[in-house]
Amino acid sequence: MSQYKIIFTGPVGAGKTTAIKSISDKDVVGTDVAASDMTKQRKASTTVAMDYGVMNLAGGEKIHLYGTPGQERFDFMWDILTTGGIGLILLLDNTRADPFQDLKFFLAAFDGFIQSTAVAIGITQTDISATPTLADYHQQLQALGIKPPVFAIDAREYNDVSLLVQALLYSLDPGLASDNP
Amino acid sequence: MKATHPDPIRVALFGMDARSLKTFELYLAGPCHGAAVVVVEDEAEIDLLDADFPTAGELLQSRWTAAPGRPIVLLSLQPLAIANTTYLAKPVNAEALMNTLNGLRPAPQTASPADTAPAPKTTATSEKHSGLVDEATPQGDAAVQTPSPPRPRRHPIESNEGGFTALLGVTGDIDFDDPKQIIAARFDPNLYFLSYAHEAFKRASEYGQAMQLHSAWKPVLIFPGSRQVWLDADDKQTRVFAGMEQKKNLAGAISLTPVDAAAVRATKAPDKFQDMDAFLWKLAIWTSKGRLPMTLNAQQPVYIRHWPNFTRLMMTPDALRVVALLAQGPRSPLEVAQSLNIRANYVFVVITACWSLGLLDQRTRSADYLVTPEPPKPDKKQDLLTKILNRLRGDAGKGGYA
Repeated sequence: MSQYKIIFTGPVGAGKTTAIKSISDKDVVGTDVAASDMTKQRKASTTVAMDYGVMNLAGGEKIHLYGTPGQERFDFMWDILTTGGIGLILLLDNTRADPFQDLKFFLAAFDGFIQSTAVAIGITQTDISATPTLADYHQQLQALGIKPPVFAIDAREYNDVSLLVQALLYSLDPGLASDNP
Repeated sequence: MKATHPDPIRVALFGMDARSLKTFELYLAGPCHGAAVVVVEDEAEIDLLDADFPTAGELLQSRWTAAPGRPIVLLSLQPLAIANTTYLAKPVNAEALMNTLNGLRPAPQTASPADTAPAPKTTATSEKHSGLVDEATPQGDAAVQTPSPPRPRRHPIESNEGGFTALLGVTGDIDFDDPKQIIAARFDPNLYFLSYAHEAFKRASEYGQAMQLHSAWKPVLIFPGSRQVWLDADDKQTRVFAGMEQKKNLAGAISLTPVDAAAVRATKAPDKFQDMDAFLWKLAIWTSKGRLPMTLNAQQPVYIRHWPNFTRLMMTPDALRVVALLAQGPRSPLEVAQSLNIRANYVFVVITACWSLGLLDQRTRSADYLVTPEPPKPDKKQDLLTKILNRLRGDAGKGGYA
């Protein structure tokens, strides 16, 4: 049986682990360790390999949820992770020094994957830092020639993460119709 | 609170959220001295429906179908004259309510099923009602007529875009199944509070000045710095006002005055502040009621600048699908409805809401009319994607609401 995945990516502390926990049917297998470098400035522990969660689907199928490591030094894993991926969730932390740089970095890093699938972007920590605004992100994206969904989210909230993933699915196919209206 | 009346009138409540329903139960037991009691719909003698509830029209239809002949009382802020119903003005007082209920109570029958039935269940959150929520259908506005028990998370019907608790409202004069009427289903924004709020937000933002919008209704305070508004009204009240045409005499009462943001803010209840875009979005939905503004033509392409921030806005049915399709390229509102095979009023309402926030406009280039948009291409993994969608919406997954 094919292994289908949704990939969660973004910089350190953007909420990837939390977002996967929010929608996973089983406890997230994390590989967080105490941060010992620049990462320490933002969070006490960080994901050095990947996070893994799963959603059980009707008929016994599963969709695997993978979180990429936030640190750029592990980027060799990203190609491996995206194989079989159906789409990308990019989470960005609005309190970071330059969220637009993060935006461009991750879109470029996953460019090939996004071209063949779709991306939906969740902006976290907007309650702490109101700027840049979502309109600012859209302006950046317009310059890049793409029009993905961009939502402010709280990664702890099931509904926020669920809506973001639903927007990803509809970006792949607006004709999708749920049995549950 | 125990009912004190030996033979209380059995009423079923519709169009009320959990809090309203509980309040009404206590009201019947207290000020009405237990002369009426809330029961499940099968055991009721009289149906009592909040006509200001957004899907009240469909609820009323469903009640006529489910219990033909049963008296129906409509509670509303606005006078209503609908055949086979009895209107009762809000705010309800005990005397008027009991007079109405007593007047409508069917004559007692000997050995009727109701008489021999077990004692009425005095809770409206029965298993049957809860089940209605889970069994909602595309026309399932009945799903919102009774409260569901507390859940660890919001029910997906309420929280996701497919939820029909999205408060569209109804326009009784338009048949959205008639193609001719669909094309004509438009409204003049200048006749509604929406346009005044829109203009006030624009001016306050341009001047960077907190302002107060006065109208025949409650004042709206606008804080452009934080992009917030303050209004001492709940959604139900706002929806009613949004749907009212501002006649000339009301429009004359509308004005905009600058205020001292810091001083005013300090005196206002914190829980009454709302995001400006979210407020305008709601107003647009409740003004539209499934119609397009006059400036948009249902047969000409519209384009969307970018996605709305759906996690912080009121969802309407199929809103994500409509926006996802428009994000792929311009289409006319009618083409969107046809491509997605959804009701035109669901398309029109989300297009109107996007338009109200400046996210959407009509194409004016002639070239756009020459190119017929391609129908959306089904994804190769459509079955899988549908399963994921179903899982996220809660019918195959976690949280106990499968």
